[in-house]
Amino acid sequence: MFKELDPILHSQLRLAVMSLLISVKEAEFTFIREKTNASAGNLSVQVQKLKDAGYIEVVKQFKDNYPQTTCKITPEGIQAFEEYVKALQQYLKV
Amino acid sequence: MANESKFSEQESLQLIAEMIKKAKGSYHDSGIGSLLWGAVVSIASFVSYLQREYNFSLMIDIWWLVFAAIVPQIYISMREKKNLKAKQFDDDVINAVWLVFGISIFALSFYQNIVPIQTEKIINQEGWTMTKHYLDGLKPDETIQPFTPSLYSIYILIYAFPTMVTGLVKKFMPMKIGAIMTYGLFMLSLFTESKYDMLLGSAAALICWFIPGVILRRKYLAQTRTNV
Repeated sequence: MFKELDPILHSQLRLAVMSLLISVKEAEFTFIREKTNASAGNLSVQVQKLKDAGYIEVVKQFKDNYPQTTCKITPEGIQAFEEYVKALQQYLKV
Repeated sequence: MANESKFSEQESLQLIAEMIKKAKGSYHDSGIGSLLWGAVVSIASFVSYLQREYNFSLMIDIWWLVFAAIVPQIYISMREKKNLKAKQFDDDVINAVWLVFGISIFALSFYQNIVPIQTEKIINQEGWTMTKHYLDGLKPDETIQPFTPSLYSIYILIYAFPTMVTGLVKKFMPMKIGAIMTYGLFMLSLFTESKYDMLLGSAAALICWFIPGVILRRKYLAQTRTNV
């Protein structure tokens, strides 16, 4: 029996964000936007969905008088990502 | 990646692999720190060797150059931290290793300067002196000051340590090779006169930091050009 893929993660941009964040300790919003080639608006929406699901932490602060948004994957996010990859492997029989 | 589109399982795996590769490949040290320390330590060691070989002295101790390099290093670190957009998991480990290295070098320079003075005080209190005695009797005995024999070998050994850790953690071959060669130079320095240890130390600074720094700088500039 195949495990259902997590709908929060099974979306191109959200999965891209999670894949980036699982590889680094934390990343700025601009870094994620640069790597995913997403628009700021679309990325903000997807980041908010991941935050609402408890998969990432978002810290907004000011750095040298400029707003800075930093994202970091949470332990729940790591677990969800690992389960998603396991489910994918099941589907693909990797 | 503008749309929140659904996609196949195969595409999911490809995307994960691609993003992890992008994140891992996103970071290159600017190389300026390596270039700076490689240059100053190499110059200071080489000048120290020349001073001993040709018996001359400078207005100031050349090793102040190394202490002076701390000022631009602080500026470089602050600027790099400001420009850093993603923090890697191993950044804290690497920073801790280099901090410990800096403290160790600083402590060793204290050892080098304080131990001979303290030893002299102790032997003066005990009422004896250190004497150089020629076995063939052709020259008269000479009173000598206490010193730390072949201490620069220990500096060379310590140069290799953080370089090896950085090379292994960051999987950066030039630093691994530099560190291995420096361990070789350390072994060699055990058999050489202390003035040649300075020369070996100069070579160690070049292969541990300066050459990897040049390689890092090239990679960094290439990456910066790609991002523009």
